Amino acid sequence: MRIICCLFGNKFNQWHVDNLKHMIDTYSGIEYDSFEVVTEDLYGNWYNKLQMFDKFRDGENLYFDLDIVISGKLPNLVRKEFTLLNDTWWREEAHTPLNSTIVSWTGDVSHIWDKFKADDTYYLEKYAKGSDEFYYREIEYQTYDPVCPKIDMAKQDIDYNVCTLGQMHHIMEKGWSGWWTPYFLSL
Amino acid sequence: MLKICTVFFGDLYTPDYVGKLFNSIRRNSSIPFQSVCISDDPNVEADIVLPYNHHSDVVKHWHKLKFFSPNFAGQQPGDEIIIMDIDQVITNNVDDLIGHPVQDNELVTYGVWWESLLDTNGGFYKFKSGSLKFVWDEFIKNPDFWQNYYYTRGFVHFRYYGEQNYVSDKIIKHNTVIVKTPSEWMGRYNNDYLENIELNIIYCNKFDTDYMILDEVNENVKAVHFTGPGKTIHEHTAPWIEDHWK
Repeated sequence: MRIICCLFGNKFNQWHVDNLKHMIDTYSGIEYDSFEVVTEDLYGNWYNKLQMFDKFRDGENLYFDLDIVISGKLPNLVRKEFTLLNDTWWREEAHTPLNSTIVSWTGDVSHIWDKFKADDTYYLEKYAKGSDEFYYREIEYQTYDPVCPKIDMAKQDIDYNVCTLGQMHHIMEKGWSGWWTPYFLSL
Repeated sequence: MLKICTVFFGDLYTPDYVGKLFNSIRRNSSIPFQSVCISDDPNVEADIVLPYNHHSDVVKHWHKLKFFSPNFAGQQPGDEIIIMDIDQVITNNVDDLIGHPVQDNELVTYGVWWESLLDTNGGFYKFKSGSLKFVWDEFIKNPDFWQNYYYTRGFVHFRYYGEQNYVSDKIIKHNTVIVKTPSEWMGRYNNDYLENIELNIIYCNKFDTDYMILDEVNENVKAVHFTGPGKTIHEHTAPWIEDHWK
């Protein structure tokens, strides 16, 4: 099984990659064969993530964004079909219900990349708010059951062991602290 | 614990503004405090220096809002937080200023004697840690929107200005109690000789005194704020500044 993340631009750096690996290795209970980092910055935005569907065409694949907190053992997140999060159990749908903070597939889903790449200028303009709308409108997908809330819900009714920071990725900067701090790699 | 918090960035000011502000507060107060500054300049002197993070979504003065979050700068429940601009000179004892009592859901801010459209003054905010966390929480949901909001609507004349307006608006929206310090505690000074004379006249008339700032600073003035864009302290040679700004 392959763990994948993406690093490009200037908001994230090697610490964020190391931190993700640290949380996976220390808390998640996930066993994997390789940890892959996609770094080619083709588009200057999160459409770069789509490269992973071209690069990894076999086996089990599990992708994580860098701005998450993993605070305990995770359920099995590996899926056969192309699967990502549906956030509408904790937020309004907006331009897409989908969230690609966590993505999984098995085998070859390079058709996602091929479709995007064939007309990337068009899709970048049509879905300018982000690649999650591209998935929603253009790609067949499955979604996870509720598993990954936003951070301010993570320690409420159910103790979810993974959450997305969303607009709160600043808490990964030096100077911020909270319940999540012990799970992060020291800055 | 009392934390006095600042932000230093850019090249309008020099990094010694931070150390001089904190040094002058310590010289003029018996109240212990921890000094905090957000800056990437290695020459900034403070007990805690936190990174400015040039690549974040937050720009310029808006970094000040981080201190409204109880999750920032090692804040603990019960801490009292002061945020100060660094473009001011402390001229007399400030125990009554930095030790000003403050309650939950209350903001202590400078009372000013000059005309102001705002109910708060960004030169000085004091509050209980976390009690006004909505200021940060609502901003960080859409920082780009707020950082341009007051400029695009003509409330301020420089892009990314308006942090004072934002704080004032949120404080009012949330029915926070605003407590203003006595306005005679504030001095105002700038680069214009004639304007400084006019400011002296206004101060004298308002507080029935002989001067605000001549060769010396009036004993009732605790802090002199160099207000307005582009107005600096280090380009002045007035003796009173050399006496107090060190």
